[in-house]
Amino acid sequence: MQSIKKKLSENILDKLSMDFLRNQVLKNAYGNDDTFIAKRDPRILLVWYVFFALAPWFVDDLPFLLGCFVLVAVTTVMAKVAPLVLVLFCLGVFSQTGYLFVVSLIFGGNAQTVVPLLVLTLKVASVSLASITVFSGLDPDRLSNGLMWFGCPEKLSFSISYAYRMLPMLMEEFQNVLLSYRLRGNAPEHDTLAGKVRYLIYQIQVIIHSFYPLMLNTAKRSRTTVEALEIKGYRYAAVNKEVKKMKLATLKVTYDDLLFLAVSFLWMAVVIFAGTLV
Amino acid sequence: MNVIEIKDLKFSYPGAKTPVLKGVDLEIEKGDFVAIIGNNGCGKSTLCKAMNGLIPHFITGDFEGSVQAAGVETRESDIGTLARKVGYVYQDFENQIVRPTVLDDASYACMNYAMKDYRERGMEALEKCGLSGKEQDYIWQLSGGQTHLLALAGALSLSPEVLILDEPIAQLDPHHADTIYEILKELNEQHGKTIIVIEHHTEYIGNYCKHAVLMKDGKIKWKLPVVEALQRVEELEESDIFPPQVTRAAYRLRTEGRLAEGGKLPSTVEEGRKTFADFIYTGRKENCGEPSPAGEKEETVSCENVSVSYRSVKGEPKQIFSGLDLKLYKGEKIALIGSNGAGKSTLMKLMVGLLKPSDGRVVLKGQSVGDTKPEKLSRYVSLVYQNPEDMFIKDSIEADIAYAMKVRNEEGWQERTEELLRRFRLTELKDRDGRLLSGGQMRRASLAIGVALQPEILLLDEPTANLDIATRKEIMKTLRDMKEITDTVMIATHDMQLVCEWAERIIVLSGGRVLADGTRDEVFGNRDVVEQVGIRPPEIFQMGKALDERAFCYTIDEFVHGFERVK
Repeated sequence: MQSIKKKLSENILDKLSMDFLRNQVLKNAYGNDDTFIAKRDPRILLVWYVFFALAPWFVDDLPFLLGCFVLVAVTTVMAKVAPLVLVLFCLGVFSQTGYLFVVSLIFGGNAQTVVPLLVLTLKVASVSLASITVFSGLDPDRLSNGLMWFGCPEKLSFSISYAYRMLPMLMEEFQNVLLSYRLRGNAPEHDTLAGKVRYLIYQIQVIIHSFYPLMLNTAKRSRTTVEALEIKGYRYAAVNKEVKKMKLATLKVTYDDLLFLAVSFLWMAVVIFAGTLV
Repeated sequence: MNVIEIKDLKFSYPGAKTPVLKGVDLEIEKGDFVAIIGNNGCGKSTLCKAMNGLIPHFITGDFEGSVQAAGVETRESDIGTLARKVGYVYQDFENQIVRPTVLDDASYACMNYAMKDYRERGMEALEKCGLSGKEQDYIWQLSGGQTHLLALAGALSLSPEVLILDEPIAQLDPHHADTIYEILKELNEQHGKTIIVIEHHTEYIGNYCKHAVLMKDGKIKWKLPVVEALQRVEELEESDIFPPQVTRAAYRLRTEGRLAEGGKLPSTVEEGRKTFADFIYTGRKENCGEPSPAGEKEETVSCENVSVSYRSVKGEPKQIFSGLDLKLYKGEKIALIGSNGAGKSTLMKLMVGLLKPSDGRVVLKGQSVGDTKPEKLSRYVSLVYQNPEDMFIKDSIEADIAYAMKVRNEEGWQERTEELLRRFRLTELKDRDGRLLSGGQMRRASLAIGVALQPEILLLDEPTANLDIATRKEIMKTLRDMKEITDTVMIATHDMQLVCEWAERIIVLSGGRVLADGTRDEVFGNRDVVEQVGIRPPEIFQMGKALDERAFCYTIDEFVHGFERVK
């Protein structure tokens, strides 16, 4: 029992490490580029997303919402989203509305109080899962190309893909700075409860202090990046319509994309039809 | 025909009191392979940035004189046009890569300049740089050497006439360094590119370059064919450039009157064979660098059946070690060698408790590292990172050095900080932010931080990477002084001269296990190991071996003393 407990706490601590976070972010961005969702044309997915991000807010029909939820849950599974994102999703939904739902059940809420809460929870969950499918299932480059096609400025789409390029580097830098604190700092003992609280405060302090070196190190690195972007004609491309056309020429709607839309459409039609029967 | 023509170029950065370039005149012919040499801060990088138009178009300042690149006056042109004439690869090349996948990055510039065939151009550049087959890889899957090749491919995709590389091999192991230079040679010979490198490694200059340009104090001192340039041993050493070891050995012998005057000094092992043809090996005169045969050795660290694996973005975790066994003893000077990715850094992280083995255990002074907090371990063992910037967590190096002692309420930490500042010659700089120091100062500061807690074991990850030879010498001197502070020192490095001059025990890591472990003779004398891991002994060692199979000369001193001319 003791050992299981130890293992469990080690496991949880392990999950909180910077290394793990970095790995999850990378996994989320690029680790699932061979799924069915990742291969979809970004424009099609964005259109699909607009429907599932808006429609649930305006409909209170339970079967319809359930249908939405099931569909986006399936697409989320298909997109092989990183576990961390799912954990955050569950936490998020629960903290928004889920806890009310549970509390009202415990305190003898009947169907009349539970149903509106269930509706709200389903709305939030469907919209969140649709977002996760699109933004986490597509790799950042395809996503930014899709956005650009719909007329988003080049700067935004470049920022998205560059942020993902920088993020692993930034996190590695952050990890190294934290390690420096870890090795040279003197963390308080955390065997007792009071010690644990002090330890937590210490950790937060360290994280805050880490931002100074992190920012400076990153600034130092980006000096080269800025020059390189200039040489590589980034500024030149931003004002050239031709370049935009070339970038978007890689986007192609395939048979599978239409199939994806058709299946989604069909499913929702069936759900709505079933809703009228009830 | 000249591809670069610089006339009376003067440049000073905004706010600087003295100009960096003080009237540079330089002509570089089409198809040349030029090395620009000179000590730190003599204006090499500034000069090169003037060639591709970054100066004055992007970095402004006082600019006088004229620079013509591929027939274009840089001042009247713009960066876009010039980028297609002159390609540039930075020293910190990983920051030059802006896209997540390989092909994307290689073709990015071409796309930005609206070239319809950008993909083909990217592919072609990748092929020339030996990266075919990696097109769809993500950039963080690449090794250091491959990342450098990608930066090169990115510059090459615009098919410039001139390629400039700022210290291309500073961070690479010898194998990757060779690859880079072989590719540059091919680009130069097969594709007619003019190549300009800023380089400290004279062995590579001797083997690959055609001309060398010496810069001093913002001026060109001379431009000579490489063979002649490397003859000027004194002049080069004055500028902190060290000619190839073979050349220096011949120079030493000549000044001692043991080699005939006249004729030219050899600059490669091949040439050395002729020059030293009538020399014979007389055996080793001194026995430095061998471990003292003291009886009982006290064990300080031991790895018992250690396995480690890393999470990977895709697929199975990557296994670094499986079942590693290793013991380190008190007072040893250990060099840890092996190619990039062999697990050197991982082993060091294991010892300071930053990584936990998935199996087995690491024991430090009788305590298992896994059960002890890193904060506690830092009393016994200290790690100095490869990248000194990551060691600086405060806004002055004084505060950084004091930090570990201060938070532990060490008695007399103020005095000790002062003493460390003095010992590492940092007193003048104590209020500066570590990041803003020069390479050598930064390295010294990181060493001072590393030994602040007087650890018994000091681990150094690549302490001489990215340093010019003079700074390197300085760090080696500091390492020798360190003997008074710590007992056991372990260095992970690619720098074989450092290994040979300093280490008593050499551990060779390859594929997650210890491939060889012993003295210099045991490691470098073992041909299987040398070939399998691709470690390259210093040039002088190869020279000795080329003359006599029995010779083991690791330093110029040993060579000069070990060989005698037959009368």
